[in-house]
Amino acid sequence: MTKHTKIAKSHDDVLEELADALDIPPSKFEEAKSRYDSIGAWLDRPESSLARYSPAISPQGSFLLGTVTRPLTLAEEYDVDLVCLLQGSKTAFTQKSLKEAVGNEVHLYAAARGMAKPVVEGRRCWTLTYADGAQFHMDILPAIPDAQSYRQMLTEQGHPILATSPDLAGQAIAITDRTLPQYARPTADWPLSNPQGYAAWFRSRMLIQLTERKIEFAKREHITASVDQIPDHKVKTPLQRTIQLLKRHRDCMFADDADYKPISIIITTLSAHAYNEEPSVSAALQGILRGMDRFIENRDGQSWVANPVNPAENFADKWADEPKKEENFRRWLEQARRDFGTYLRSSPFNSIPSPLRENLGSDLVNRTLQAVLPAAAVLATPAVARPAEADQTRRAEAAIEQIQRDGPQSKPWTRS
Amino acid sequence: MDQIVGRSGTLLTLDQVRAAVSFDQPNLIAESDGKRIRLEGTYLVFEKGVVAAPDGPITSFEISMELSERYPRQEPRVFETGERIPRVAERHINPNGDCCVTVWENWLVEVNDHTLSSYLNGPMNEYFLGQFWYEKTGKWPFGERSHGLKGLEEAYADALGISNNAESLRYHLRLLSHDWPKGHWLCPCKSGKLLRHCHRDDLAAMHAKVPPPVARRMLSRLKADGRL
Ligand SMILES: [Zn+2]
Ligand SMILES: [Zn+2]
Repeated sequence: MTKHTKIAKSHDDVLEELADALDIPPSKFEEAKSRYDSIGAWLDRPESSLARYSPAISPQGSFLLGTVTRPLTLAEEYDVDLVCLLQGSKTAFTQKSLKEAVGNEVHLYAAARGMAKPVVEGRRCWTLTYADGAQFHMDILPAIPDAQSYRQMLTEQGHPILATSPDLAGQAIAITDRTLPQYARPTADWPLSNPQGYAAWFRSRMLIQLTERKIEFAKREHITASVDQIPDHKVKTPLQRTIQLLKRHRDCMFADDADYKPISIIITTLSAHAYNEEPSVSAALQGILRGMDRFIENRDGQSWVANPVNPAENFADKWADEPKKEENFRRWLEQARRDFGTYLRSSPFNSIPSPLRENLGSDLVNRTLQAVLPAAAVLATPAVARPAEADQTRRAEAAIEQIQRDGPQSKPWTRS
Repeated sequence: MDQIVGRSGTLLTLDQVRAAVSFDQPNLIAESDGKRIRLEGTYLVFEKGVVAAPDGPITSFEISMELSERYPRQEPRVFETGERIPRVAERHINPNGDCCVTVWENWLVEVNDHTLSSYLNGPMNEYFLGQFWYEKTGKWPFGERSHGLKGLEEAYADALGISNNAESLRYHLRLLSHDWPKGHWLCPCKSGKLLRHCHRDDLAAMHAKVPPPVARRMLSRLKADGRL
């Protein structure tokens, strides 16, 4: 994303700039990428104990989806979620031996790079922390390919079409969990995960706009390459922009209650469901905020946000035991509707009402507005914007003509 | 019939109202007393299909709105509370601020989407845009109905796609009130033939557009208004 400071002329211009401002900066993105590429190269070096398993490191989660948002404060870090995939099998490894094989090499890597902070073992991951100032850490998830078990699971659960999809099921993986009783035992019973399948589903929800934006990008940058040769992360769709804005709004709203905030995977999944390839951020926000809660299923009284590539997995599984989490989700959704609605529907584009300003972070909003608006245009907020009278009349006339063309739905009468 | 009047068992919930209102009309606040949902605040008028305009809405009106949980089987009531609209009959408003947005059954027949969103962005937007236009020009941009019973008859005849004749309208509606138009009734075209030997297909098409519950409601409303 090249930095193009232009003058904003619409709500959408402002929203795009805000989303861009809370995205990971391109330099930070490249830095994170070169660090995980370097881990990948280390694991795959000739002397590596893992070399014969052709280890590969790839991002998952928001880095893969293009929905990363900046941490709220400088003290917090970007969470870079990575899969470390070995071409191994459940006969060659137990979960424990896989975890440890990867752990060994990660420790060697940290030592070779003189990284002062310890490598930390989590339930499923290894966490590599960089020096202060790098502002990110890597969660490395040891895994082996296991599309077969995943497909079998989906078939048994009654999803034969999903099971046979190469994109949605073909790249599923088996992962480790040190809290499981069979962790150290040779067994075929491993936890399964499917970050690539989820990403493929997510991408399919915005494919038209992804292509559109790549075409625009190619034009703008005078690139003659075909659209499929442009990497996804060079552009952002309205869906990705909207998710970034919503996650930021959530972060600010629950700054003091972070343990109970709505989780990103729920916001991301429901947004992608409700998204209908709207071509602008404003229309995407409208479609998503109006409709996202319709995709929360009720399964025998339990709220269910299904993993689209594994419907038996409930992203909202914590809600049953901690009703506060569901209440917070619904409270957040209502607040987000009002905040974005108040800006988009009742305010001029150069005036961001204070609830939205606070819930996106006043500093970020002020800095962004100053960059994209001429100084005089940053206005105080009236309760409802009032355009000049001549303007109103001209707009009303055009609006009437449009309705007359499409066929009006109603005629006033008088009840007796 | 389900899609035209809503599934008879489903009730409108406060969550559904908020989903329809909180973003599109953020200055309307929804509250429920268990039976009825009330919306109160400022209604924003926009161009059709526009999410945001650089200068904000075209205009706005103070309103309150009453929604039955049986919406859309039951018509919502809209009141203009800012007294911006003079309480005179030619403004299509009653002395208590009750806005005659449109003839409800006509909208049910003419439009497929009966969600609250569709109503807020369709007839309500047209009504208040029309009020604004009337303030400026003294004209109704989308036409208007006659007052009272006469307006109902016009709207129902339009919905059926027949010419407006009181007797013929009622005869059609009686036919349409049955689950299936009776072939042994006389054809409404007055040919003297039985329906099954005359305009049977036309009636079947009309029946698909105006299902029996709506036809019955039109008839009973005509009767009630006729008695006044
Ligand atoms: Zn982490
Ligand atoms: Zn006939």
